[in-house]
Amino acid sequence: MKKWLPYIITGLLALLPLIGLSTYMMHILILVIMWTVIGMAWNLLGGYCGQVSFGHAAFFGIGAYTAGILYFKTGLSAWWGIPLSIFFVSVASLLIGYVTLRLRGPFFALGTLAIGEVCRVTAENLRDFTQGTLGIMLKERTWIDKTWYYYIILGIAVFTFISIRKIINSKLGYYFVAIREDQDAAESLGINTTLYKTIALILSGVFTGLAGAFYMNYMGYIDPEIVFALHDISIITIMVVMVGGVATFWGPVVGAVIMVLLAEMIRSIPRLGVAHQTMFGILLILIIIFLPNGIVGDFSKIRKFFRFGRAG
Amino acid sequence: MKRLILTMTVSLMVMVFTAGLVAAETLDITIPLPLTGSKAKFGEIEKRSYEIAAEEINAAGGIKGKKVVLHFEDSQGKPEIARAIAEKIIDVKKQPFVVGAYSSSCSKAIAAVAEERKIPYLVVTGASDTITRKNYKYIFRMNPSVSYYTGGLRSFLKKVVKPKSVAILYESTDFGTKGAEGMVKDAKKLGMKVVMKEKYESGAVDFKPILSKLKSKRPDVIYMVSYVMDAALLMRQIKELRIDAKLFAGGAAGFAIPEFIENAKDASEYVVTATLWSPQVAYPGAKEFAEKYKARAGKYPSYHGAEAYSALYVMKDVLERAKSWTPDDIRDALKATDIVTAFGPVKFEDREGYQNQNFMDTLVLQVINGKHETIWPEKYATKKYVYPIPKWRDRR
Repeated sequence: MKKWLPYIITGLLALLPLIGLSTYMMHILILVIMWTVIGMAWNLLGGYCGQVSFGHAAFFGIGAYTAGILYFKTGLSAWWGIPLSIFFVSVASLLIGYVTLRLRGPFFALGTLAIGEVCRVTAENLRDFTQGTLGIMLKERTWIDKTWYYYIILGIAVFTFISIRKIINSKLGYYFVAIREDQDAAESLGINTTLYKTIALILSGVFTGLAGAFYMNYMGYIDPEIVFALHDISIITIMVVMVGGVATFWGPVVGAVIMVLLAEMIRSIPRLGVAHQTMFGILLILIIIFLPNGIVGDFSKIRKFFRFGRAG
Repeated sequence: MKRLILTMTVSLMVMVFTAGLVAAETLDITIPLPLTGSKAKFGEIEKRSYEIAAEEINAAGGIKGKKVVLHFEDSQGKPEIARAIAEKIIDVKKQPFVVGAYSSSCSKAIAAVAEERKIPYLVVTGASDTITRKNYKYIFRMNPSVSYYTGGLRSFLKKVVKPKSVAILYESTDFGTKGAEGMVKDAKKLGMKVVMKEKYESGAVDFKPILSKLKSKRPDVIYMVSYVMDAALLMRQIKELRIDAKLFAGGAAGFAIPEFIENAKDASEYVVTATLWSPQVAYPGAKEFAEKYKARAGKYPSYHGAEAYSALYVMKDVLERAKSWTPDDIRDALKATDIVTAFGPVKFEDREGYQNQNFMDTLVLQVINGKHETIWPEKYATKKYVYPIPKWRDRR
């Protein structure tokens, strides 16, 4: 059963658009899947390799701007941004890693946080290149219907999921975990920690960048404050993983469902919805206090709790 | 006599009864606004203003006899959530039009969806140029775009002050930079020489180095683009240094709000500023709205509030004129709009590369006797402008 779970879920998700959901639901689903991708990407670096990044908006933004600038400057379809972003984000990750990966623990976190902000300010000021705060807007989105967008982001998500699973179960994955557990010990065992940390950063960045490039195509409008946002992108990314479960395959999926779908549902509750931020905040606090390893990570705890309830 | 009372009671009862029947039918309008997050302050102003408008409309019998019921959805200032709300409005609530949003980025996200679905969308306060320059057919905007904010000030300079030179001080933000660039362009048109263009970090405390430099240039006009505290500090230090000019001008924002006068005190006297709207402006209903708002919130609304308030009146006018309440008929009715609201005249035109854009006059305010007064254009003036302004040493 467990072995087939990914296939079953993918199959069900692939069939979802056929039952005729409203575009509103489709939009929410697309956002959920997009956040899953970003969450999985962050999880690779933060969860498995132990390098907590507060600046994933940098990769998201660079991916989005690759697509945006390509469209704006050359007139090519912004969809080419998805393959191209892999290259540009890799280069950017390499540079970012060169600076920040010398730092450890909280210093790395603060370093990436700064990098995210640096990217935002840079994009705001490179007016001729990025249009500054005016942003880049697609003249026309490719489809009005959401089905294709849904399948594309689902495709990216499945690709990300499979790749990360492969990576984690390979030798590379063990290196990552070794670095997370004890960087000095890993080094003494002959693991080139700098190299593997850089690899983790690049992989994580590339998947995030793919989501960014998709965002440009899907939303049709970006500006530096949206795609390089500290609060709306970088922090939400961490929350997705923390709530779902750090260093688990399914954590980011569950986290994205909670952070997007549940947040939207709470927002839509009549009357009480006014205080949606408060209610959602309390929910997150409860999850983090009682399930510090996230919903997937502490699933056994949840199960125990309910069993206990039944027995009593 | 008895009979008269009887007929009166009966007719009153009938009226109440029918009114009750009519009120039973409602028109639900969902409005996306940033109610949390960094833009929440403006969302709150607009929300209150929409509510005031809805209450007034309902008290006067609603729209075509239907009672207006407003629902607000919090976009948090994030475009993807604004879009989710727009999709919900169009698809789930089947509302044939969209109103609102506040920020430019959310307006753009909604505009793209509305245009694709052919649902008319009335943009309220999103000021970015591009929204109405995309050949969109279903997108209408009430406020002038950011490039037009200083239109009134420009004509005041041209007709009254006729300056030869200008010095520009601006804060190093997007808003300040754009304002300064706009002024450089205006200066070229008016034949003014830009003798100085200097930016400062917003939140600076000591402007004396910049101001000393300014003093040596002796410009006719000193134009400043700043937010609240900077605006007040600049004027106070200008007063301390006794820098005289023919005119001190501000580019909206920090100069156009009551806090400016509170903070700068007598240094604010005779300073002029560009703005879209002011509580004293002579548009019908503007003063009443401002007072009503003040009674509730404790202070006067900014132009954002007036625009939101008037947006609902525009929709009322449109819905009453529309042949039917289908998106296309509402769009046609919007296109034919020609009314004067508390925010100013509203008429959607296609010109200068814009589509469905309301080109309204922007105003010039001057601080006279410690109060903002509208001085330009003359037809909306509440007081005659004071020009030339007295030198610092001649002031008491």
